[in-house]
Amino acid sequence: MFFLQSLLSGILTGGVYALAGIGMSLVFGVMNISNFAHGDLMMLGMYLAYFAFTLLHIDPYLSLLLIIPTAFLFGFILEKVFIHKIIDHPHQNQILLTIGLGLIMSNTALLAFTSDPKILTTSYSSSAVHILGGISLSVPLLLSFAITTVITGILFLFLSKTTTGLALWATSQNREAAQLMGINVAKMSAIAFGLGTALAATAGALIAPTYYIYPMAGHTFLLKAFTICVLGGLGSVVGAGIGGIIIGIVESMSSTYLSSDWKDVVVFIIFLAVLLLRPQGLLGKKGEQ
Amino acid sequence: MKQITIIAVIAGFAALLPLAIGENPYFIGVLISVLMMAALSSAWNILGGYAGQYSFGHAAYFGAGAYTTMILISRFNINPLVSMVAGIIVACIIALITGSIVFRLRGHYFGLASIAVAEIVRLSALNFDFTGGAQGILLSDVSLWGLDLNSKLPFYYGMLLVLVITLGITLNLRTSKTGYYLQAIREDQDAAASLGINLSFYKNKALLISAALTSVLGSLYAVYIRFIDTTAVLDLRLSIEIILTAIIGGVGTLWGPVLGAVLLVPLAEMLRSNVIGDVLVKQGIVSANSGLGVFLKENLAHAHVLVYGIITVLCILYMPKGILGLFRRKK
Repeated sequence: MFFLQSLLSGILTGGVYALAGIGMSLVFGVMNISNFAHGDLMMLGMYLAYFAFTLLHIDPYLSLLLIIPTAFLFGFILEKVFIHKIIDHPHQNQILLTIGLGLIMSNTALLAFTSDPKILTTSYSSSAVHILGGISLSVPLLLSFAITTVITGILFLFLSKTTTGLALWATSQNREAAQLMGINVAKMSAIAFGLGTALAATAGALIAPTYYIYPMAGHTFLLKAFTICVLGGLGSVVGAGIGGIIIGIVESMSSTYLSSDWKDVVVFIIFLAVLLLRPQGLLGKKGEQ
Repeated sequence: MKQITIIAVIAGFAALLPLAIGENPYFIGVLISVLMMAALSSAWNILGGYAGQYSFGHAAYFGAGAYTTMILISRFNINPLVSMVAGIIVACIIALITGSIVFRLRGHYFGLASIAVAEIVRLSALNFDFTGGAQGILLSDVSLWGLDLNSKLPFYYGMLLVLVITLGITLNLRTSKTGYYLQAIREDQDAAASLGINLSFYKNKALLISAALTSVLGSLYAVYIRFIDTTAVLDLRLSIEIILTAIIGGVGTLWGPVLGAVLLVPLAEMLRSNVIGDVLVKQGIVSANSGLGVFLKENLAHAHVLVYGIITVLCILYMPKGILGLFRRKK
């Protein structure tokens, strides 16, 4: 029973991780950039959901309708102003630039909102659904998993059915060939970064009702998102989806059977094990490592 | 030859500096921070600047030195120098594990893995009992050869010595076989491999030298402050400050990290001790009781990381080769 309980809550949490991982993987695939500001973009999503709830009295899940376009625009502008300038730079400069942007975001949040953790409490925050006798599933987690599934579905339809989506896919496969085929890769980069930001902010908003909201919250999620991307194969969107679920399960299992203090350590050990045994990830292409 | 003379002259000047400013504990404290960051950043530069392997987790080696030394001194009353050597060994073991996993890979992976290793070390120190957990380790008394370790001077000279050794090793890299190999790896890994350079051997060598020096600085810091916890010695922010110092001065140059430390550490210190806010209020630019005055007073001390972030972004966009890189281009 313990096993099933922790498996199911792991899958539910993993869904949100998958969303964050997919966002990072999309940026990596299209732009070949490791986005170290990804966690801080999630943190911004958490605060957006919090203020939409406390100031505008909008339900955190409903506020996604506001948060997604805002975050997309924010990411699009970030790419146009900063990131596109370093797209041909050595990768360490790209990492440092996104670290710098992340530090600016988290420390501005620190000055504006102080370091006191905020809690978003909805009427259903602590309610749970009981199934199969003894297993309880938290309502916020169930809702966020359902929303994650819908958003991931829409994203896949977008990537596989629309012209822009296919152009993004092509740029991710081979940037130079895509450019030769007449795809505006600069525009694709901005769209990819906008989408990545929107996905990060969505993931942030989705965990906001079940997590402490504080300026440095992004830090933990950044490393998790990286683990998910490397596990799935850097740049593989499907891989990141699967990776997210796996990491969710691993975390939940290690909390149950080990201790919640050590769950992040287990995640990072898996990260190193993947690099050692299968650096291309579960679904990545071989030969680029 | 010329550079050696410059190192000797500057080191001699730095050695006489405490006599000139008359042992003012505050200034000596700031100078120790400058020397430590200069040495940390120079040690990072051996791996990042010369071998082109950007480590984003150097706090792990600093923390390994600091924790090993503190545990051995406080629990087993072991001689500080012996504890320091033990710290080097622990740091080198962590470095070898990291190196053997990721130096087979290229590009993004080393950076990512270095963070993962550093986080594993940090979380372990936080969760184990023998490392003092979240409380950290406090050292009440320590002695070595009758030196007055309550004074800051022994640590000033200790940091200076490590800095000079690090600069000496860096200088040697410019003309030694290992140095040439590392630079070849940095410029073109495949070409270097095709010429018969053992990539992972030389990358590991650079990592070990860098980790060992970083660990010594961690030991010195721990005994100097006499208190460590994971936030002070194992935080990701420390790793980033080390890189940033090198970037601003000039990565892959001998003096870049030193220049970066001379500029950044006093700046951070001024923000932390709120000198800038006080000056603005005293000059009458901002009224102490106005909303802005109160805001500055309460918050400017937290702003130094924000300033670091802004400097990083500007530096990467407009000056990616650092201050020394600017001069080099003009020649």
